[in-house]
Amino acid sequence: MSLTLAHFLALGGILFSLSVAGIFLNRKNIIILLMAIELMLLAVNMNFVAFSRFHGHLEGQVFVFFILTVAAAEAAIGLAILMVLFRNRNSINVEDMDELKG
Amino acid sequence: MTAIELVFYLFSTVLTLSALAVITVRNAVYAALFLVLAFFSSAAIWMLLEVEFLAITLVLVYVGAVMVLFLFVVMMLDMNSERVREGFARYLPVGILVALIMAGELMFVIWTKGAEKLPLPPGQSDAGANTALLGERLYTAYLYPFEIAAVILLVGIVAAIALTHTGRNPNTRYQDPSRQVSTRREDRVRIVSMPGAGSKSAEERS
Amino acid sequence: MTAADLMLALPEIFVLGMTCIIMLFGLWLPEERQGMISFVSIMTLVFAAIILLGWDDPDPAAVSFAFNATFVRDQMADVLKLSAFIVLAAILVYARQYLRVFKVAMLEYHVLSLFLLLGVMVLISAASMLTVYLGLELIALPSYALVALRRDDQRSTEAAMKYFVLGSLASGLLLYGLSMIYGVTGTLSLAQVANITAMGNNTVLVLGLIFVVIGIAFKLGVVPFHMWVPDVYHGAPAAVTALIGSLPKLAVFAMAIRLLSDGLGNMQMHWMSMLVVLATLSIVVGNLVAIAQSNLKRMLAYSTIGHMGFMLLGLLTGSDQGFSAAMFYAIVYAIMAAGAFGVMILLSQHGVEAEHLDDYKGLSKRSPWLALMMLMLMFSMAGVPVFAGFFAKWLVIQAVIDAGMIWLAILAVIFSVIGAFYYLRVVKLMYFDAPDKDDAISVPADFRAALTLNGSAQLLLGIFANILIGLCVASF
Repeated sequence: MSLTLAHFLALGGILFSLSVAGIFLNRKNIIILLMAIELMLLAVNMNFVAFSRFHGHLEGQVFVFFILTVAAAEAAIGLAILMVLFRNRNSINVEDMDELKG
Repeated sequence: MTAIELVFYLFSTVLTLSALAVITVRNAVYAALFLVLAFFSSAAIWMLLEVEFLAITLVLVYVGAVMVLFLFVVMMLDMNSERVREGFARYLPVGILVALIMAGELMFVIWTKGAEKLPLPPGQSDAGANTALLGERLYTAYLYPFEIAAVILLVGIVAAIALTHTGRNPNTRYQDPSRQVSTRREDRVRIVSMPGAGSKSAEERS
Repeated sequence: MTAADLMLALPEIFVLGMTCIIMLFGLWLPEERQGMISFVSIMTLVFAAIILLGWDDPDPAAVSFAFNATFVRDQMADVLKLSAFIVLAAILVYARQYLRVFKVAMLEYHVLSLFLLLGVMVLISAASMLTVYLGLELIALPSYALVALRRDDQRSTEAAMKYFVLGSLASGLLLYGLSMIYGVTGTLSLAQVANITAMGNNTVLVLGLIFVVIGIAFKLGVVPFHMWVPDVYHGAPAAVTALIGSLPKLAVFAMAIRLLSDGLGNMQMHWMSMLVVLATLSIVVGNLVAIAQSNLKRMLAYSTIGHMGFMLLGLLTGSDQGFSAAMFYAIVYAIMAAGAFGVMILLSQHGVEAEHLDDYKGLSKRSPWLALMMLMLMFSMAGVPVFAGFFAKWLVIQAVIDAGMIWLAILAVIFSVIGAFYYLRVVKLMYFDAPDKDDAISVPADFRAALTLNGSAQLLLGIFANILIGLCVASF
C-alpha cells in the first residue's frame, strides 16, 4: 500500500493519544507532564505539515513555524515557574501540593 | 515496498516507540533523551514530506535549545524517581483506556473519510526552494503574525527573568575590571618603617 | 501591506511601543519613583483609547481587513478594546498600593499586564486561525508569569504551575482542532473557512470542531473544564486575580465569536448542542458550589464559572440577538469583576490578603463608602433589577426564549435566584454583622475616584443600559 495522507494523520493521531495518556499517567511529575505537552504539539505539527504537503501550499508550514516559536517561549516560562516552585518547596511532586485544595 | 515507504515505516516506528518511552520510563533524564529521539525521527519524516526548513528548525530549536533547557532543569532539580512514579500503576488502566478510545476514534475518522485515498503528491523538482518560499510568505503575507511572535518571545524573556533572576548574591566573589584598572600604588603597597632592632628580637626568640 | 493597514492597527502599535519604552526606562527609575510606571501605563491606556476613537471611520458598520486578512477591525473589536482599556486602567489604579505593600515587582507587573492587553487586542481583532492562536498565547504567557510573580509565596507558584499545565493542554487541544479545520478547508483565513464550509461539511470538520470547543471551554473555565479556575483565583495575588478574572474574558468571548460564528457559523447545529451542555453544567455547578465557599476569592471563582455559563447561553443561540446579549454580558462582567477584586485589593492593604468572608464583617461601620461600592457590585452580580447585571441576565434569557429553548431559560432563572443568595450573604455580612477589627481603611484619592466610578457604573450602566446595548447590537 503506497503512502497516503491517512498514514501521516494516523501517525499524528497516535502521537496525540500517547501524549493525552502521558498526561493521565504522569499527574505526579510535572516535568514529564511538560514533555507530554511537547509531544502533543509535535502531533499537531505533524498534522499541519502533512496537510500542507497534500494541499500543495505553504500555509500549514507557516503555522508550524509559529507553533515552534511559541512553544519555545512557553517551555522557557514553564521551566522558570518549575524552578521557582522547586525553590519554594524542594519538591515538584504534585502530591505535595496541598496549599490549594481543589 | 519502495524506499520512501521503508523510510516512513522505519522512522514512524522509532517515533511511536520513543514517544511511548517518554511517558513510561522511570528516569526523567531518559524521558528527555527519548523526546530528543522522537524529535529527530519527526524531522526525518518531515524531510520525507519535503518540509526541509521546518525539519532543520525542529532539530536546531527543539533538540538544540528546548531539550537542553529541559535537561538542565531535570539535572538541577534533584528528583526522587521512586516517588515520582507513585500512582503510575493506579492510573495505568485509565490512561490506556483513554489513549485507546481516543486513538480508535481518530483512526476511524482518518481512515474512512477519504484521507486514505489521497496519495503522496509527486516531489517537486525545485525542492530546495522550500526555505526561500517560506521566508517570502513570512515576510510578506504573514508579517503581522511574525511581529506578534517576536513579542511573544520578548514576553518569554521578560517572564523568565522576572521569575528566576534574584539579583547578585552578596556572597558571590566577582571581579570589577574598572576598579582593578584604576587602582593606584597606595592601594596595594604600604611602606612601613620598621625599627632597626628587628634582628635583635629575632635573636631573643631563638 | 500598506499605510492603511498600519493605520488600522495603530492602537496595537502604540501599546506595543509604549510597553517597550516603559520596560526600558523603568529599569533606570530609582525605587522611590516607581509610581511613575503606574502613571505612564495608565496614560498609555488613555492615549490608546483616544487613538482608537480618533480613527476616522468612513462607515462605522464597515469591516476592514488588514495584513493579508490576518487582522480585522469592526465595531465589535472597537467596543471590546475600549472596554479592555477602561478595565485595565481601573485595575492598574487599584494595584499600585497593593504592589508596594506586598513587594511585588512594580515594573514587571505593569509590563506583563500591558503585554497581556496587547494579546487581548490581537485576539479580539483576529481574522485568521494563526492570529487566534498567537493572541491566545500572548494572553496566556504573561498570565502564567503574573500569577507566579510573588515568587517566594508557595501558594501563588503552585497556582501558576497548575495554570500553566492546564493552559498549555488547552492550547494543544485547540491547535489539534485547528489543524483538522485547516486540513479540510486548506486555508487559515476564517472568512474563507466560512465560504468553504458553506458547501457542506464532513466528519473530519466535526472532529476539529469538538477540539476547538473544548479549547474554548478550557480558556473560559466552564464546567467540566473549570478545575483550574478556583485554584488559580485563590493562589494568585489579588491584583493579578483582578487582571486574569476580567480582561481575558473579553478576549475569549471575541475568540468564540471569531471561531464559531465568523469561521464555523455553518456548523451551528453541531456546536450549539455542545454549548448547551457546557452552559447548563456551568450555571448549575458554579452557582451551587459557590454557596459552600468561605473564601471570597474561591466564591468569586465559582461565580465566574456561573457567569461564563450565562454568557454561553447568549452564544449558543447563534442569533445576532444572542451574540449582542453575550457581548453585553462579557463587558458588564469584566467591569464587575474588576470592581469586586478592587475592593479586595483595598482591604488587603495591611499585607494580608483579605480573602475570607469574615474580613468583610461590619464593613459598613469601618468604611460606609467602601461597603456601598461593594453592595452595588454584589447587587449587580446577583442580578438585582436596575443594576447592569440584571439587564445582562435579562437580555441573555430573552435571547434563549426567542431561540425556543424555554427549559433552558427556566433553568437559568432558577439558578440565578439561587446564585443571588451568596452575593446577598456578603451584603448581609457587611451591613448587619459586627466588625471583628476596627482599624481604619486609608484610601488613596485616585483609588477612591476609580472605585466610585466602577461601583456607580453598575447603576449607570443599568439605568442607561440602552447606550451600551445599542453598541452591542450594532456590532452584529
